[in-house]
Amino acid sequence: MRGPQLSLNQTQKLRLEAALEKLESFSSKANSVTVADTIPVNYEDGVLKGHGTSEIDGSVVATVCGVVERVNKLVYVRALRARYKPEIGDIIVGRVNEVAPKRWRLEINFSQDAVLMLSSMNLPDGIQRRRTAVDELNMRCIFEEGDVICAEVRGFQHDGSLHLQARSQKYGKLERGQMLTVPPYLVKRRKQHFHHLDQYGIDLILGCNGFIWVGEHVNTKDPTEEEQASKSEQEQVATKLNRNAASLEEQERTYTPLETRQNICRMANAARVLSTLGFSITVELLIEIVNLSISLKSDIREMLGSEFCVLVAEVEAERRSAKIKKK
Amino acid sequence: MEQRLANTWRMSVNDKKFIESSLLSDLRVDGRRPFDYRKLSIKFGREDGSSEVQLGETHVMGFVTGQLVPPYRDRPNEGSLAIYTEFSPMADPSFEAGRPGENAVELGRIIDRGLRESRAIDTESLCILSGKLVWSIRVDLHILDNGGNLVDAANIAALAALLTFRRPECTLSGDDGQEVIVHSAEEREPLPLIVHHLPVAVTFAFFSNDNVVVIDPTHKEEAVMKGRLTATLNTNGDVCAIQKGGGIGVLQSVVLQCLRIASVKAADMTSKIKDAVESYNTVRAFRKVKRHSAPIAVSVDGSVAIKKQSQDGAQKIEL
Amino acid sequence: MEYVSPEGLRLDGRRPMEMRQIRAEVGAVSKADGSAVFEMGNTKVIAAVYGPREVQNRSQQLNDQALVRCEYTMSNFSTGDRMRRPKGDRRSTEISLVIRQTMEACILTHLMPRSQIDIFVQVLQADGGTRSACINAATLALADAGIPMSDLVTSCSAGYLNSTPLLDLNYVEDSAGGPDVTVGILPKLDKVTLLQMDAKLPIDTFENVMQLATEGCKAIANYIREVLQENTKQLESRRGT
Repeated sequence: MRGPQLSLNQTQKLRLEAALEKLESFSSKANSVTVADTIPVNYEDGVLKGHGTSEIDGSVVATVCGVVERVNKLVYVRALRARYKPEIGDIIVGRVNEVAPKRWRLEINFSQDAVLMLSSMNLPDGIQRRRTAVDELNMRCIFEEGDVICAEVRGFQHDGSLHLQARSQKYGKLERGQMLTVPPYLVKRRKQHFHHLDQYGIDLILGCNGFIWVGEHVNTKDPTEEEQASKSEQEQVATKLNRNAASLEEQERTYTPLETRQNICRMANAARVLSTLGFSITVELLIEIVNLSISLKSDIREMLGSEFCVLVAEVEAERRSAKIKKK
Repeated sequence: MEQRLANTWRMSVNDKKFIESSLLSDLRVDGRRPFDYRKLSIKFGREDGSSEVQLGETHVMGFVTGQLVPPYRDRPNEGSLAIYTEFSPMADPSFEAGRPGENAVELGRIIDRGLRESRAIDTESLCILSGKLVWSIRVDLHILDNGGNLVDAANIAALAALLTFRRPECTLSGDDGQEVIVHSAEEREPLPLIVHHLPVAVTFAFFSNDNVVVIDPTHKEEAVMKGRLTATLNTNGDVCAIQKGGGIGVLQSVVLQCLRIASVKAADMTSKIKDAVESYNTVRAFRKVKRHSAPIAVSVDGSVAIKKQSQDGAQKIEL
Repeated sequence: MEYVSPEGLRLDGRRPMEMRQIRAEVGAVSKADGSAVFEMGNTKVIAAVYGPREVQNRSQQLNDQALVRCEYTMSNFSTGDRMRRPKGDRRSTEISLVIRQTMEACILTHLMPRSQIDIFVQVLQADGGTRSACINAATLALADAGIPMSDLVTSCSAGYLNSTPLLDLNYVEDSAGGPDVTVGILPKLDKVTLLQMDAKLPIDTFENVMQLATEGCKAIANYIREVLQENTKQLESRRGT
């Protein structure tokens, strides 16, 4: 089975196994199914067959391995390690694969590349106007291949491809940070996906597609304030447009302090540990782990080591048992 | 891995639906019944070991050549048999020249399994000098026209060519019997290959409906079919090879039923091949004597025309 | 050479109807969407599945279904003599085609149009029955990747030596020159998708041998189902609520 690919010595192995066993004992009797298992369904009520099911010879059969979920009359199988399943309104983080006529194609761990139309993106000067041919030629000034972008799912096309929009100020190119990949089923849909952690000075974006962005905090301005654009705003805009011609002063201004970088790395490592262990990733959990590592005064890279991994497993087991006891 | 690099011919949805729905009533587009073969014609070329098979619209040519080579290390007393397929681009717009694609390799291997693994050709008789020189028989199959069911047609072409192939006779000479003299066709009569049995391939096509099975699919039926089974059998009731490489699942009972039908068809096919080879052999023998017979060389009259009609499907006489 | 002793034991001590020890592990390749290692006795095979993802060659894109590609390779060290195998040799091409067509029959490709599913299978140790092990490993990897399938595909081989049907041939028995029947079934629907046979067999004997191989497939299907069930439970329990 997939597990942390770490070299654990004997005691660590035992501790890890104990913690994992404890977790397994907490899990409610989830009805997991494998491919081609018949799903027990009460036919008299009428049943709506959802994702991951199909009908063979009148009985409902699972097509993926996962957990059966029932909502009123809807029966569906929630696959665990599948690719990202997009829903309208999801916040996602993606990387630009290709710059195509009037659109960017982003890779977002989906069965096809997502499309971000030029018209769904704010222009750098902020004015709402029709995109001209000049805008099309300058697309590379906004996003290039390899850029990391945060956007929202706008909808599906008839052929199944995904359309994104990045109209608000909080969406757009992400700089000065790192992006990491976790399996999408570990990121649950919440009300808030943008987290600004003051105490560390970093921004955390948990993309629903499993791409997580941890970066230095960037002040996002309200669109209404843009009309009274101050000189510094225009300078910032100018910086965005002429990145390559950055002068030494500007580089000094945009320098990220060492402590922020360390916090970024700690947060990213915390997410990596959670993903190797297979635990759900939430902000609270991440903050807890970062605090844990700071309190241990361990090196940042030791967070990816075996000892820390086992510790996290034990902490999580404790936390879940406490939660169940509270119930 | 490179599928569909060349132009793929796509069939219209109407065509597909029509073929499928008419098959439900046991009707095939060309008027055949589900278990009927198309018209088969086997012709031979001037040389020994060349055949031309036409199965409906499918056209395949087979050539057999032999070469003296050192044997494999682990088989010093046996000759070898190798099958090469050439999917000529003139046969189908989706065939590309050069390296054989997946389908070409699969076809080659099905025929290879049927002939070699079932020991249809006696390879031990191909050994001239144990450990030093053996005959290596090479069968080249050229697909000239893809009208569907290439496997069956190519198999028949290979068998026909192998049956009519003659290899030069070799004698051992020299002080220690280590020298080999290869006699030309004029000196000594070349020898045929020893063929133990004739493995005949019969291809079945499966469609979305479980009950629909047809033999010898045409090009259009192949585009609609969901699975294919090729069974190679001989007249002794042995199954020599079976190939069902994926595709739609069928019940075991259907597979066994197909095998039984295939054995009947194989007997039929074997007799046709044997007849064609027989008439070729008589013409060949006749040709040897032909030099001295006057009527053919000189007159262009009714007697020659009659001769031509009496050989149907076999060697064409040259005037 | 005697392949079945008078007491009824084969060269490696098995009974004629006995299969080799099977072992499966899910999640061997961490970068892949789904992966599995499958062992049948000494035959060890690793499969990795990538997909569904964007089609790399736009001209090959299918508008109504997913494109399935498969590549079968044998490692240089997989057999006794370490040989440099040419990548596109005929046997590998045929087996790649066969595995692709087998898996394509059970993947619900119409649910993922305009995408591509890549299946890579590599033989790490070859001791007979590599084809079957590859199909079993590919099934596990596809299920691990969460790709919707209509049914699992399991495969097993059987032969006929010394007038006895033998289940799950190893390399020595396979190279004896006797018949080798490889069967792949969809266990739930009880249908045969893959059927390959070489060397001669009378039809009735063939029926017995095919039946034996099908039984072997069903046993493997039960094992695979258990492995997947265990894996799913573990993932779900770790994920928490």
